[in-house]
Amino acid sequence: MQYYNEMIEVKSVSKTYGNIESLKEISFNIRRGEIFGLLGPNGAGKSTTVNILNTLLKPDSGEIYIDGLNIFHDPDKCKKMMGVVPQEIALYDNMTAYENLIFWGGLYNVPKKELRASAKKILELVGLAGRNNDRIRTFSGGMKRRINIACSLLHKPQILILDEPTAGVDPQNRNHIFDLIEKLNQEGMTVIYTTHYMEEAERLCDRIAIIDLGTIKAEGTLEELRALNGSPNANLEYIFLMLTGKLLRD
Amino acid sequence: MLKLFRKDLILFLNDQKSFILTFLVPVILISLFAFAYGGVNDFIDSSESFQLLVVDQDQSELSSEFLSNLSSLNGMHIVYSDLDSATNLIIRGKYPGALIFHPGFQDSVKINAGLPVELIFDREQEFEIAMAQAIIINSLISSVRKIEMDKYIEINRAISNQIQEETGITRTKAGNISQSFLKMTSIVGEKDDLNLGLIQAVAGTSILMLLFSVAGIGTSILEEKENGTIKRLLYSPLKSRTILYSKMLFALFVAILQLTVMFLFSWIFLNLDITVNVEAMILMIISTAFAISSVGIFLASIAVSRHQASSLSTLVILVMSAVGGSMIPLFAMPDVMNKIAPFSINYWGIQGFYDIFWRSLPLREILPEIFVLTGTGIVLTVISIRLFSKSIFKIA
Repeated sequence: MQYYNEMIEVKSVSKTYGNIESLKEISFNIRRGEIFGLLGPNGAGKSTTVNILNTLLKPDSGEIYIDGLNIFHDPDKCKKMMGVVPQEIALYDNMTAYENLIFWGGLYNVPKKELRASAKKILELVGLAGRNNDRIRTFSGGMKRRINIACSLLHKPQILILDEPTAGVDPQNRNHIFDLIEKLNQEGMTVIYTTHYMEEAERLCDRIAIIDLGTIKAEGTLEELRALNGSPNANLEYIFLMLTGKLLRD
Repeated sequence: MLKLFRKDLILFLNDQKSFILTFLVPVILISLFAFAYGGVNDFIDSSESFQLLVVDQDQSELSSEFLSNLSSLNGMHIVYSDLDSATNLIIRGKYPGALIFHPGFQDSVKINAGLPVELIFDREQEFEIAMAQAIIINSLISSVRKIEMDKYIEINRAISNQIQEETGITRTKAGNISQSFLKMTSIVGEKDDLNLGLIQAVAGTSILMLLFSVAGIGTSILEEKENGTIKRLLYSPLKSRTILYSKMLFALFVAILQLTVMFLFSWIFLNLDITVNVEAMILMIISTAFAISSVGIFLASIAVSRHQASSLSTLVILVMSAVGGSMIPLFAMPDVMNKIAPFSINYWGIQGFYDIFWRSLPLREILPEIFVLTGTGIVLTVISIRLFSKSIFKIA
């Protein structure tokens, strides 16, 4: 079996909505086992990129490979390799945490016995083993965020895509989520992380791509981005504003 | 305080939906209910004729003359038939009643015996029949009076004596005497002393409540879109059509279950005999459930938000139920409402259950209702799938 060092390859992908060019021939690679940050202001093209990676959207042109598989030729195989944590808390409030896990995991045809074992393990991983039989509606915002992530892990994906997973979360829960992502990454999971919080990207991401107006403005490690902008001591927010400007995006 | 009031007024006037729900919807509903209760007489066509079947087994000069007089009356339209056909047409609900001149009508008048004239009818149409009865009796009396004036009093006396012999009660009131000119026989729903009101209550209420239940399931698709679970489902290997079909299947399942429970409840606790025609009832339950679940899904597919779907569903359900006979029985409504009623799903469902429980019709007679309900369900499902593909599953 051929081994690809590049887990995800995005090649010259373009997407247009009407007259608006959402993505203009963007290309980037994500390496196996890295945490890759995708940053950009509102309307930059982050969601479009993530939705194309998920095969929910088809680009006008370009190609995407996941572990060597063309996602448009093998969408089902590629979907099973990915776990996606949406920005919304996409859970069923009137089901328990355990029921949610079993439901979402079941969609990937994980055998029942394996699924039950995974659900218990993941509940422990997200620190909610004691609340497995409580309904989601009784959970705090932070607990819901943790279960939201847990539901994407049951089929043991090789890639985890997190779309702003800490929106509206208190520092304790945020820290817990960071620890969880780092732990999953240490176990070999490739992570794509989109966020507006620069300090999160600084802490978590091995490499970062800054996207704006449908193009990749810069890509690399934090040090590489600093060097690229000639500001060796600058923080990520400074670099981000340098690359994307201070104009408000409505 | 005035500033707050002004703010609320501006918000209210800027919210077109609230404005429509506050003023336009009540106006529409009031108009519909006014029609349904027959309170808008100006709009009701007073020239609408009453369709009466006639079976003239006497074929005499006297019966012909009477029928000639009757047909000349404004608003009375006579359709000649034979006894079997007339009975069948009434049982199937095509005509409210039939006037039968049994053999010997003319002779009876001549020998001063009781008149062998009978009005067979469907009790569901008793309001119309009551009016027809009065017209027929008046016409009958005046016809007899013209021909055998001197015998008229004797006829009355003979009838009065007959009643006295049969009942032991001396009837002196003209009304009672007049009634014995015409034998009244209900031929529909008489078996087991069926209660028309019970059938109306069970069928009408079941369909009304089913519409609300299924609309809620349809609205839940929009709720899932709003809270992100639809998008998350699409992240999985599931196909978008599978998501939609499973929702429709669930709506159908709930609808079938709800109707079944309601009929079982009516059977056990309200003594509605649901064993009259079980296979027809099952087919009616399935087709009604399919049509209604497709309405619920369709309403969700044309709305852009859960709130809009909820308001739209309430409005459509109330209008369909008012028009279709869920709230007020169709036989109590004016003709104009009976002409609009077939545009409502409720109408076809209720008529189907009437045909089974009230008229005891065989399955083949109920097939038109089943076809209309199933056809409506198929059309609305196809439209819903297309609309959902463009809205719910469109990811930007």
